[in-house]
Amino acid sequence: MVRLDKNRLSSLDWKGLVAIGLIVTAGVATIYSATTHQTGSPSTLYLKQLAWVGMGMAVFVAAALVDYHTLTRYAYAGYAAVIVLLVGVLLVGRVGMGARRWISLGVFDVQPSELAKLVLILVLARYCSERHVRGGLGPTQLLAPLTLALIPIGLILKQPDLGTGLTLLAITLSMILLVGIRYQSIVFLALSALMLFPFFWTLFWNSLKGYQRNRLLTFVNPSSDPLGMGYHVIQSKIAIGSGGFWGKGFLGSTQSQLKFLPEGHTDFIFAVFAEEWGFVGVLGLLALYGFVLFWIMETAYKAKDREGAFLVIGVAGMVVFSLVVNIGMTLGMMPVVGVPLLLMSYGGSSMLTVFAALGLVMNVRLRRFMLFY
Amino acid sequence: MPRPEEDEFRSRGRAVAVLAVLAALYAALGIRVVYLQVIRGPDFVHRAERQHEKAIAVEAERGTIYDRHGNILAADLTVPSLYAVPPLIDNPGSIARELAVVLGVDPLPLAKRLAEPREFIWLSRRVDPAVAKAVEDLGAEGVRLMPERRRIYPKKALLGQALGFAGTDHEGLEGIERAYDRTLRGEKGWLVYERDGMGQRLFPKDLRYVAPSRGGDLVLTIDEVVQYISERELDAVIAESGADGGTIVVMDPADGGVLAMAVRQAFNPNDVDARHPASWRNRAITDLFEPGSTFKVVTAAAALEAGVVRADDLIDCERGAWPIAGGVLHDHEPLGRISFSDVIAKSSNIGTAKVALRLGQERLARSIAAFGFGRKTGIDVGGEVSGRVRPTARWSGRSLATMAIGQEVGVTAIQLVTAYAAVANGGRLVKPHLVVEVRDERGRAQPIAQEEHDETHPRVMSEQTAEVLTTILERVVSPRGTGALAAVEGVSVAGKTGTAQQIDPATGRYTANRVVSSFVGFAPSRRPAVVVLVVIDNPEGHGWGGSVAAPVFRRVVEATLRHLETPSAPSDPVRPPATAVTLLVPR
Repeated sequence: MVRLDKNRLSSLDWKGLVAIGLIVTAGVATIYSATTHQTGSPSTLYLKQLAWVGMGMAVFVAAALVDYHTLTRYAYAGYAAVIVLLVGVLLVGRVGMGARRWISLGVFDVQPSELAKLVLILVLARYCSERHVRGGLGPTQLLAPLTLALIPIGLILKQPDLGTGLTLLAITLSMILLVGIRYQSIVFLALSALMLFPFFWTLFWNSLKGYQRNRLLTFVNPSSDPLGMGYHVIQSKIAIGSGGFWGKGFLGSTQSQLKFLPEGHTDFIFAVFAEEWGFVGVLGLLALYGFVLFWIMETAYKAKDREGAFLVIGVAGMVVFSLVVNIGMTLGMMPVVGVPLLLMSYGGSSMLTVFAALGLVMNVRLRRFMLFY
Repeated sequence: MPRPEEDEFRSRGRAVAVLAVLAALYAALGIRVVYLQVIRGPDFVHRAERQHEKAIAVEAERGTIYDRHGNILAADLTVPSLYAVPPLIDNPGSIARELAVVLGVDPLPLAKRLAEPREFIWLSRRVDPAVAKAVEDLGAEGVRLMPERRRIYPKKALLGQALGFAGTDHEGLEGIERAYDRTLRGEKGWLVYERDGMGQRLFPKDLRYVAPSRGGDLVLTIDEVVQYISERELDAVIAESGADGGTIVVMDPADGGVLAMAVRQAFNPNDVDARHPASWRNRAITDLFEPGSTFKVVTAAAALEAGVVRADDLIDCERGAWPIAGGVLHDHEPLGRISFSDVIAKSSNIGTAKVALRLGQERLARSIAAFGFGRKTGIDVGGEVSGRVRPTARWSGRSLATMAIGQEVGVTAIQLVTAYAAVANGGRLVKPHLVVEVRDERGRAQPIAQEEHDETHPRVMSEQTAEVLTTILERVVSPRGTGALAAVEGVSVAGKTGTAQQIDPATGRYTANRVVSSFVGFAPSRRPAVVVLVVIDNPEGHGWGGSVAAPVFRRVVEATLRHLETPSAPSDPVRPPATAVTLLVPR
């Protein structure tokens, strides 16, 4: 395993961690605000979130310390285990909110789809770095990584969990595109996508649940249904817009406090933050996320080997997807897809996953100067 | 393993591309945020407020309507209603017990309601002032009174149709109440509380109170006494003649101010029966009738003005029958060669028609238009109709003769009385109106719409013509004229009788046996104080204007002149006393 030495600790830069810490702090504060109604008993959700953050930090340290080469060595085994769990979820999983997403592992419940994100990153990083082809992957060479990705994606869509499925797709595409792909491959992918689109669209559309279809339809025209599905988006826009330039201040988010904006502590946490802290706060938050992204990309660029770089790119794809889809959704630019805002939204699974993923980044970063291992 | 530096992954181009994609995504989000928060921000702030502020309207006190001497014709009665703000009530049980005694209700359900998680509940609406006082004396925190209003018309049916009425939501629906609704209604106040997305749960604890502001008052040109005289005489003649209804309009010829506008059947705005909307129709402005002989003054004015005839020119009245355009024109009595004055005084159809032929249709049509027939007078209450005057292009061969004697035209009472006011005042067409002054909530007089003051009354005939016509109309009331019964002792009167078959509003044709009997005139004829029109709808018997309407005219003029000569009551309207109960409202 690994011993920490002075060299490695000194290469640990604090700026990225500070940015992550600030975002998480803002998230906990916003959860406190969004769930503390004036009705009396203050909600304890923010405390739970703090506990998840604490566990996340432990996961972060663990993910950073174990050498990522060790991790990728067990990638296929992990992948197989997760596939088994995903199948298990479909068979014996616990149903919550109309979808079968959790599986009980005795003491606690896990959400295998979250594990799938990490495992997919590891597996693709290993596969792509081993089968590296100068000039990029050709069409046939794409088949294997795509298959690796599509199996868990299919299983997750079946749960159904559109948000996570799309996250996996985003991770896969960003990795494949960034590790190198031939122009023929792009053309091949585009053509086959075009030809198969009607087929897949029907499959996709039929596999969607009623509420998911409505989400897509109301995205096209939110005001067609102001009290139904479009309600979320309209309320989110009102909350963000009414924050104005300076915001309404901490605990001042009337739209979520008065329960006009649902899910203010989970998927729509950005709207609550924007209402309280205004345009100024949003600029600050976007800057922090931007800095974290930059920190990740820089790690990829400086990684010691391909495997490390690919791992980090997978994480970057995950973070960018969450950022763009979630914030885009609250701003009314994207359909309502259940993608949490990483590092901020309330929820243990996504908190642990993102900390694990960022731990991988730190892992690669810490080992960027090492020549041997 | 290849050195990392050799990877195309690390190429400059790829790094730039990745950054460009990220920058583009960021820019898209950023632009959207700027749009929502900075550009549309104020808009959304408003939307957010509107969403969670709920308000209970507090009705403003509607302005009072006074007659010209300050007598109240319509006013608001303030009635207290009782409500509670449960979040302010610490001990619902004890307060419910106290309240229950005062209100005479069961305390248990009341306590339950006071504990409800709502910001506002009605306890009892429109309570007795004594009860309100008792509740006020309890001094219970969170139990309050709100003023609610009820419109009352203390003089009952007096001026009913002209006043109109205000509906249950305190909005003027008819008559002056409707026409001046914006002035009278004032601005609603509000009790505002915040509401959450579930439609409940509120904060802050107390309600915000926005006080209503009282509406403006109106002072009418109406003289309550003259109105009363008119309605009394109208009732009397209807009872006596078995008529279906009638109208009396009394106007000041100098400025068009209406002193009385009586319409029967009567309508009491305190008691509106929605099943009979016809009962509140102000027939003086909404109903057409064929004027008959009273219209001859229009022909006479045009002929004198054009110089085609003089008052003493002799005209052959053909002994009562004159063939014209395939028909025969009759007079009610056979007349020979008589002066033009006598043609009007004796109301000869043939003589008038002959003069009209000299005049020609263009000049007659111009005169009809100049007197204001065929268009609205612009009186300041709604529902006025413009009357029916066909354009010359659609006149038939007989039209010139028949229109000259007041057939084939439909006029309103207000049009006819305004036309006679022009004769009375020396030739100017005034604009009839009912409101002389608007007072704001502090009692300061506000000018009525500017144009009404600036308006110069257009001249429809020369002063000489008006004078000649007055002389002729005086002869109508002379012992040998058709309007002899209109003569008033000691006062010179000028006027004209009229009798016409009615036009059935459904078919637009003459009905066989229904007549409208009318008399219109002014007194004193050389210094007129009033123009009075009496229209009796379908009296039994022969129904000649001279015999049915003229005596009514006389009685109205007599009583009115006597009233106008007596020194008038103080002309400054006095506010009604404030309501006895002070209302507990949050500041």
